[in-house]
Amino acid sequence: MTEQAGLERGYRRLLACYPKAYRRDNGDEILGVLMATAREGQRRVGLAESADLVRGALRMRLRPPSPPPRSVFTAVRLMCAGAAVELAAWITIVVTAGSVKSAMAPRGPAQWHAVLVHLVAVEVFGPIAIVVWLWMAWANGRGHEWARLLFMSFFALTTAGLLGWLGQGAAVYAPADLIAVAVLWLVQLAVMVLIFSKKSAPHYGHELAQK
Amino acid sequence: MQEATFLILTALADGSQHGYGIITEVREISGGRVRLRAGTLYTALDRLRTDELIGVDREEIVEGRLRRYYRLTPAGTKRLAAEAARLHANATAALVRLNLAGGMAT
Repeated sequence: MTEQAGLERGYRRLLACYPKAYRRDNGDEILGVLMATAREGQRRVGLAESADLVRGALRMRLRPPSPPPRSVFTAVRLMCAGAAVELAAWITIVVTAGSVKSAMAPRGPAQWHAVLVHLVAVEVFGPIAIVVWLWMAWANGRGHEWARLLFMSFFALTTAGLLGWLGQGAAVYAPADLIAVAVLWLVQLAVMVLIFSKKSAPHYGHELAQK
Repeated sequence: MQEATFLILTALADGSQHGYGIITEVREISGGRVRLRAGTLYTALDRLRTDELIGVDREEIVEGRLRRYYRLTPAGTKRLAAEAARLHANATAALVRLNLAGGMAT
């Protein structure tokens, strides 16, 4: 019995090399097989067995995450496209800022000030939004549930921003900027539909199932 | 397809098997030549599950330990049949050529 306990401890030490999530799901099962295949009276883990388990653990650690379903794959590509559109929108806004400011100048200081604040905010937050798009693409691709919820907040913020801007009459003084933001909003809407679709659900539930 | 993968799929061809069962079946099918170790087996099983060639049939608790039974999926059956046909065709071609060359294959 003590021989078996010692051997089991040895196997457990080697199984600790496997990724935690994989070990949680398969560790007990693999240990059962290892104990079943052990030789009669075996006390220690053999060298070849150790090498095999370390190699298996390395492969598990180096393997790419399980491929996402097509809906998530498309959503991730759209998020990368979103980052590209965001960059294009940011460049558009920076380039057209001067003409927007001069177009707004005759409309009175209050409106001019509001537009100026908005433009500065866009210029500053544009690069941050690009990083957020890419970060969301990475995290959603890996199936993190929090990433899906965070993207929902991102979408809500963009929707509020778009509505606020429309309220300011941006369609008149900054049509190019408005089109860019509307395109981004549409991309976000498509991503929302994809990541919250039934087909995507198992991808996000995967993490929970392994706990 | 690697030989170990082919043999694992073959071991599951006539019914579900648990990990230890697959190891013994593979040894038997290969005439004792291929002795799978647990690390190699579970790396292969993980890949085959990801590729949806095998699936979990059922789970049991035996002596306080989880025992999972694996089975071929329809895609796995199709893939194994295709691979077996390919190997069979290659082997037949080799034997025919050996015979034509006056070799010893019978």
